[in-house]
Amino acid sequence: MKLQMRARQRFLFATILVVGALVAAGCAGTSPDDEGGGDGGGELSWAIGGSEAAPGGVHREVAELWNEENPDNPISIERLPDDAGEQRQQQSLELNAQESGFDVLGMDVIWTGEYAVNGWLESLEDVRGEIEEVTIPGAFESAAWEGELWAAPYNSNAGFLYYRTDLVDEPPTTWDETVQIGMQVGEQEGIAPFVGQGAQYEGMVVNFLEYYWGAGGELFNEDASEVLWDNDIALEAVEFMRDSVENGFYGSGFNTFLEEESRNEFQSGNAVFLRNWPYVYGLASDKKESKIAGKFDIAPLPTFTGDGTISALGGFNNAVSAFSDNKEAAKEFVVWASTNEEVQTLLGESSLPPTMGSVYENLQDDPVMALLGEVLPEAKPRPPAPMWNDISVTIQQEIFPAYNGEKDPQEAVEAVGAFLEESIQ
Amino acid sequence: MSPSVLVMALVAAFPVIYAVILSLYLYQGRLREGFGGLENYAEALSSSRFWGAVQATFIFTVTSVGAEFLIGLGFALIMRQVFIGRGVMRAAILVPWVIPTVIAAQLWYFMFSVTPGFVNFSLGLDRFNWLGQPGWAMFSIVFADVWKTAPFVALLLLAGLQTIPDEMYEAARVDGASTWQRFWYITMPLLKPAILVALLFRTVDALRVFDLPQVMTNGAFDTESLSILVQRFVVQTPNAGFGSALSTLTFILVLVIGVLFVRALGRDFVLNVEDE
Amino acid sequence: MATAEGVVVESSPQRKIGRYVMLGFILLWCLFPFVWLIDTSLKLGDAALNSPSLTQGPFGLDNYLSVFDQGFGYNLRNSAIVAGTTTIVCITVGSLAAYAIARLPLKGKVLILSAILAVALFPSVALVPPLYELWRSLGLLNTYPGLYIPYTAFTLPLTIFILTTFYASIPKDLEEAARVDGATAFQAFYKIILPLAAPGVFAAAIIVFVYAWNEFLLASTFAPRDLAAQTVPVAIAAFTGSVEFQRPIGTITAACVIVTIPMIIMTLILQRRITAGLTAGAVKG
Repeated sequence: MKLQMRARQRFLFATILVVGALVAAGCAGTSPDDEGGGDGGGELSWAIGGSEAAPGGVHREVAELWNEENPDNPISIERLPDDAGEQRQQQSLELNAQESGFDVLGMDVIWTGEYAVNGWLESLEDVRGEIEEVTIPGAFESAAWEGELWAAPYNSNAGFLYYRTDLVDEPPTTWDETVQIGMQVGEQEGIAPFVGQGAQYEGMVVNFLEYYWGAGGELFNEDASEVLWDNDIALEAVEFMRDSVENGFYGSGFNTFLEEESRNEFQSGNAVFLRNWPYVYGLASDKKESKIAGKFDIAPLPTFTGDGTISALGGFNNAVSAFSDNKEAAKEFVVWASTNEEVQTLLGESSLPPTMGSVYENLQDDPVMALLGEVLPEAKPRPPAPMWNDISVTIQQEIFPAYNGEKDPQEAVEAVGAFLEESIQ
Repeated sequence: MSPSVLVMALVAAFPVIYAVILSLYLYQGRLREGFGGLENYAEALSSSRFWGAVQATFIFTVTSVGAEFLIGLGFALIMRQVFIGRGVMRAAILVPWVIPTVIAAQLWYFMFSVTPGFVNFSLGLDRFNWLGQPGWAMFSIVFADVWKTAPFVALLLLAGLQTIPDEMYEAARVDGASTWQRFWYITMPLLKPAILVALLFRTVDALRVFDLPQVMTNGAFDTESLSILVQRFVVQTPNAGFGSALSTLTFILVLVIGVLFVRALGRDFVLNVEDE
Repeated sequence: MATAEGVVVESSPQRKIGRYVMLGFILLWCLFPFVWLIDTSLKLGDAALNSPSLTQGPFGLDNYLSVFDQGFGYNLRNSAIVAGTTTIVCITVGSLAAYAIARLPLKGKVLILSAILAVALFPSVALVPPLYELWRSLGLLNTYPGLYIPYTAFTLPLTIFILTTFYASIPKDLEEAARVDGATAFQAFYKIILPLAAPGVFAAAIIVFVYAWNEFLLASTFAPRDLAAQTVPVAIAAFTGSVEFQRPIGTITAACVIVTIPMIIMTLILQRRITAGLTAGAVKG
């Protein structure tokens, strides 16, 4: 009997413990009215993610600026996760249910066609003129699909070649030259010649396309009705990557690197060259954090021919949800954010590349913005096709094993070509 | 009690039925194109990517569950015997398991990375590319999973060990049984139900592994598991019909293996009851 | 009671030493990555990302401060409520169901256990789209029930399995003796059976709690942003660096240490309960 009493006491104790913990936790207070929903009358909600959507980020400043000028239709940020894939999933769930929770959608430049074909976006064709007039052509292209404008460009991005000024005199303009200098200096210093984004993900697709485009290749014609994929050029790009793994031009671990891993290699002084986005410049210049502060510079990415430069274009566009209860105000907002000089300058000052061409003239003192002003007109958007994600996954599935010596390169580039044909049928 | 069980059953059964129905339709992206019968299944079963994922999943499951069982059993036997610092010891063993899987995956991604390269640093290796070559990529993922879930197995086995009365060991020792004999003839048979439950749940979980390969390799170098493949067609490049067919196939596979375990378990229960 | 725990096997000096070496190995295996985690969480700036050395600073508590600046206290509260509710509901329902099943004949048992198992075997990524739509129409998005209902559904099978094995190993005579003494069926269950199955009950409780505390996929879809329901793993995944692309490894590891410490304390408490059942187990034999 005594034994059972004990057992019961134990149970009671455990129950009290759990309930007590819950009550204590419950007393911690109610949630603050942080980023409230936007389903009220004139209010707008802007679904956008990333560090700039966090408190203190430039998206918040842009929203405040709008709210000062438009107290009747204030906008608030629905902060999405950091990862672009998860941002897309959260938007998709809401839009697929035809719900009005999001009025303005912050979209990666590659989602335009997919969202448009799904009927999730309000056409911006009637405001096309004012946007096209001020926007960098590549960024504008990324917001249109099948001749119709679906989004307003907001911020852009392009890849740079980072190089060590203490080891390299002049930045190379061709890939052959980059390999030659990189291998020589790398061996001398005992560091990796080159790092970039080589893991199996979207970033590798970007790196691969820069080689492919830099060798003169194209994916589609202008209205995406015809495939221009060239097996020979693609093979040249793949063979270049494959050789780079084998001869050590790519630093060890290249095929697992995302943006941050490659930045850290370069910033720790472990690489001669780096392909990365503009964000690295500020971080690598920080004397406290970086071993190479003051010892590096940026240049346009090389090509195979040495003519000009080519970069994949990144960034975000704003679109109006087809299920918004307040489309007019939402449209006004996206046009304003895309064409207002104050907003676009604010982005530039926060190291987020603007899409408005004229802003760069005022930002010439900033070396990153100066180079962007030079590179962005030449930058190519990945085609914002409805099936871009499928195309990207196919490139990852074929090109990644091919450049790592796990698959025949010829077969891989043919498979990508075949898939591109399939995607426009 | 029964209404709540009913709610739970509905919550769990609804998505399954929903997916089975969707799997019979053909889709282009998110747009339904018509009824396709078993076409999605035929496509899945004839794709090399599906069979690659099956192979990767099986390699992962067999190696990770095997290692987890051996290590977990070792932990449980030791946890039962420890006297000094027992509480701390037991909590320490459970630490890996209470770390959220998403974070554990990131932690091991960092540890195995070339940069900062903590594993290489600890082993004195120079820039060994664990996650960037075939074989070692899978090894790293299995290692991370074993580290994370061996404690779970240990916990279940320890609970089972606690029900074996000391008197049985005493009696065996009086009869002159060695440590090994006591382990093999007393511990193992009496622990069998707990072992089966632990293996059952580890196996069905391992067959659906997602976070670790997703974060550590994103499916590169033959580490694409069935759940990653399902995620690709449900979320990344949505095709509701094909994605549902893949989920259903995964479900059937896991279920068949699960039921085999349950049958073994059921027989064991009966033996126990008859014994007493 | 505590001294009754564990079995004393031979304790020759060599064996003792061997055992402590084993213990040391286990501690190293389990805790080394955790030590790395704590160490990294104390590193400032990019040192966390590019230096494998445990001793290379600069060190400081900045990461912890910035975690709490982001409203992490609310996330901790939400996780505690969701995981606590899941555990209570799951254990209550699960122990009654398991008891009923344990007393069934073999055929019925295999069938019912298989059916229970089946509901938890669907790949979780495929659950999301249909449940999202259902939750939306029921108004369960961004609420606690929206999380603990599916969590209970998917952990109930494990609970029932664990408890069934425990009940099955308890002799029927004990129960019958109680019934002879005039106890009702429920009294017999509550007073005799349940205490005997205590190690299993507490093991199951820990497992359910940890699952609900750590679950990410469903939580990130059903309560992605609203601080009134957002749980800890989702909050950690939403951490951002100071500029785009930058990975906030410092705050991630700091948050991870913060959520792990209460879990360690809880397992420490519940762990004792598991072994405490041993005395009860000794009744059998």
